[in-house]
Amino acid sequence: MTAYILRRLVQTLVVIGLLSFFCYYLMTLMPGDPIDEMIAANPFATSADAERLRQLHGLDQPVHVRYWNWVKMIASGDLGYSRTYRVPVTEALGKSLLNTSILAGTALAFSLLVAVPLGVWAALRKGSRVDYLVNLFAFAGISVPSFWIAIVLILLFAVYIPLYPAGGTQSIAFGLGPWESLLDRVQYLVLPVLSLSFLSIGTYVRYTRAAMIEAMANDYIRTARAKGLSWNRILIMHGFRNALIPLITVIALSFSTLFSGAIITETVFAYDGVGRLVFLSIQRNDFNVAMVAFMISVTMVLVMNMIADLLYGVADPRITYS
Amino acid sequence: MTRPARRRIATAGIVLVATLAVYAFSRPGHLGGGAPPTNSRLTIGITQEFENLNPVIMSMSATAYLFRLVNRTLVTLDENAEWKAQLAVELPTLENGLARLVEVDGQPKLEADWEIREAATWGDGTPVTCHDLEFAWEVAHSDKVSIASVEMYRQVEEIRIDPANPKRCTFLYREAKWNFNRLFQFYVLPAHLERPVFEAYGDQPEGYEQHSLYTRDPTNPGLYHGPYRITEIKLGSHLILERNPTFYGDPAHIEQLVIVLIPNTGTLEANLRSGSINMVSELGMSFDQAVAFQARVDAEGLPFKVNFKPGFLYEHVDLNLDNPLLQDVNVRRALVYAIDRDGLCDALFAGKQPPALHYVSPRDPWYTDDPDRIAVYPHSRREASRLLDEAGWWMRPDGYRYNAQGERLRLKLMTTAGNKVREIVEVYLQDQWGGIGVDVRIQNEPARIFFGETTRKRKFDGAVMYAWTSSPESIPRSTLHSGMIPSEANGWSGQNQPGWVKPEVDALIEELEVEFDADRRLELARQIMDHYTGDVPVIPLYYRSEVSVTPASLTGYSLTGHQVHATDHVERWNLEPVAAAERGAP
Repeated sequence: MTAYILRRLVQTLVVIGLLSFFCYYLMTLMPGDPIDEMIAANPFATSADAERLRQLHGLDQPVHVRYWNWVKMIASGDLGYSRTYRVPVTEALGKSLLNTSILAGTALAFSLLVAVPLGVWAALRKGSRVDYLVNLFAFAGISVPSFWIAIVLILLFAVYIPLYPAGGTQSIAFGLGPWESLLDRVQYLVLPVLSLSFLSIGTYVRYTRAAMIEAMANDYIRTARAKGLSWNRILIMHGFRNALIPLITVIALSFSTLFSGAIITETVFAYDGVGRLVFLSIQRNDFNVAMVAFMISVTMVLVMNMIADLLYGVADPRITYS
Repeated sequence: MTRPARRRIATAGIVLVATLAVYAFSRPGHLGGGAPPTNSRLTIGITQEFENLNPVIMSMSATAYLFRLVNRTLVTLDENAEWKAQLAVELPTLENGLARLVEVDGQPKLEADWEIREAATWGDGTPVTCHDLEFAWEVAHSDKVSIASVEMYRQVEEIRIDPANPKRCTFLYREAKWNFNRLFQFYVLPAHLERPVFEAYGDQPEGYEQHSLYTRDPTNPGLYHGPYRITEIKLGSHLILERNPTFYGDPAHIEQLVIVLIPNTGTLEANLRSGSINMVSELGMSFDQAVAFQARVDAEGLPFKVNFKPGFLYEHVDLNLDNPLLQDVNVRRALVYAIDRDGLCDALFAGKQPPALHYVSPRDPWYTDDPDRIAVYPHSRREASRLLDEAGWWMRPDGYRYNAQGERLRLKLMTTAGNKVREIVEVYLQDQWGGIGVDVRIQNEPARIFFGETTRKRKFDGAVMYAWTSSPESIPRSTLHSGMIPSEANGWSGQNQPGWVKPEVDALIEELEVEFDADRRLELARQIMDHYTGDVPVIPLYYRSEVSVTPASLTGYSLTGHQVHATDHVERWNLEPVAAAERGAP
């Protein structure tokens, strides 16, 4: 097991290294560079200005030299400087990462809390009215565009029935106590979490339902019933546990989005998250912010995949890592 | 669960939803943003991101908007598009003796005396002096600082500070140009705070900007001398400003301003209607959205005012003059004749954006629509068709024109994809040009590629539609001089995207730059316009209007329509004019 984990860690590091160069190289292939934008915005800029700025930003160097300089900077613990916001990357990204992880984490937890029981319930009543209703809800969640549901939620619960704020991350107010501050934050989370969850609930319900139907059709379920085991024990220990493997894969990959942001939801709700920040960074050629965000996203996907592989063994003792 | 029980639950649900709906719709002003804002706080929504507020380094429009809340410049352009002294006591001119033509080493140069207002101090009480001007000038000249707009500083060769009074100094300009005093982008930096940072880190690439107090300690009051100072800044989210007690001018009426970033325009409007924000700045709604919102304000009696002001943004179509088809002036003129610009502005903009005749805005003193001075092209399909016939493009039964070689008259039209207004105008042009037999193919691109590659590197072979911005009496060197045609050799600088080469215009521009006689300048400017309208390297469309939404009770606010935003007179904004008058306030 330890050898397997070490091997996977080494593989993960190699993939991160390769992907970092690939991402960096792809970014340099995009039309324009950071200086182009400055020059285009300023009618008085001369060719000498362009040359001076390219030298200053190191853009006159070949890609591999620039990449190597970036790697050295990252390795020294310096994430660089955002040329969009004119602040260190840690400052630009740190707060947004936290905000996004709160939003995505809450949405993920809420989605699982709703979707898993709903999926199990529908699977146990396959073909019934309940099953059709749950399926309808799931397909609606998968099909409806997230920007549409976001706008509907804003109109319903911020404009026509003003229960929640239309957008933002938290109230701009002074003297709030910790409890008030927490409640305030929750108020701002409700609509974006509902909007994000609507899509993921649909997806999880479909996965859970399918996995449970398959698990409950197995012979060992019939055997367990014949042995006289309680229904709850059959359902949880034999049915649900065997349905977990596909769910673990989907959920582990969902975890990786905790730090990559939900750009549409964040933009529509004016939520100060990392998705919007990365989009703007790419648009404005802010390589340092975009690269760090890419790396976090890539690392999360790889690490969560590795954790999912390890969890398969926990869910199913037949899987070994020797 | 029994059937009656289910029915009871369903009925209860319906009653609950109905009650909530009745409650929501019965609340007074449920769509109008709740209680009207007062002078204690005004919350403004913007859609564009902002960076830190170091004026020498800033590059975003939203930062320029915010900058005017907290800092001022020697000179400004007011809402009537007139140049005024702001931080300076008086605008130096040759006439008032504060500026002089001099000769240095045989070169004609110019000296101007500037004096900073006596009462002007930074937020920590340190006086604003010429040392602050000199420091900003030094920073802008450093090749380790990432700043593109150095032209404003580069024109000054030397700053001599009066040792007896550091509020006074003399600028020696490299060249004697008549517009030497329009230094609205010559910023001041607090030398007492920032010079130590510059001395410590200024020799490292981007070292100064990374360690500047505007980056590390942005709420330091010593960084600001304007009507407000920053008490909280969260990039990507919001900014809180409070009245600056040390501001040299009249104190602002509104105690606190909150600027909230809401990138989505739909959400911005929802926030306005729900009362989360009180106002949408000129960096908020798109023009079409503002027109639609105006209709809702009128229909529903919402407590807002939608403001429109035609400005100095000139929407036009650049023609690539390297294209053999477009090298024929008759074809270019035919394209202008074919467009009903009055109809376009009435139909698409409800008359709130005026049609354009050329690059000079109607608000500019140089503007003329006199047909004796410039070529004017009233809408005429007949004239357009005649010119195309003359150019050797004849109409065939399929509705398109062909030349003697059987080639169809085809034009590719490009603009920024996703810009709704431009896309509608594009279809309008396609229809109008189609009417004279031109096969127009539309091929749009994301703004990043369109501006970053296609227009900047002249990678279009037909026509591109976008906007230029300018200020009053602006010299069109960057857009019309043949030395400003972007090429690899000049690092793709310059904005003469059509590739227009006219030696007479080059000479007129060069003369215009150094002509001190205002009447002669007017004459030169109109001669350039005459060449421009006669040659048609660019098809004028319309002048864009600035839009904003303000609370109905706000007074003292006026859109400017140019680069100096309405925040430049924020101290005049007032939400309680009656109460202020009763208190005897200014």
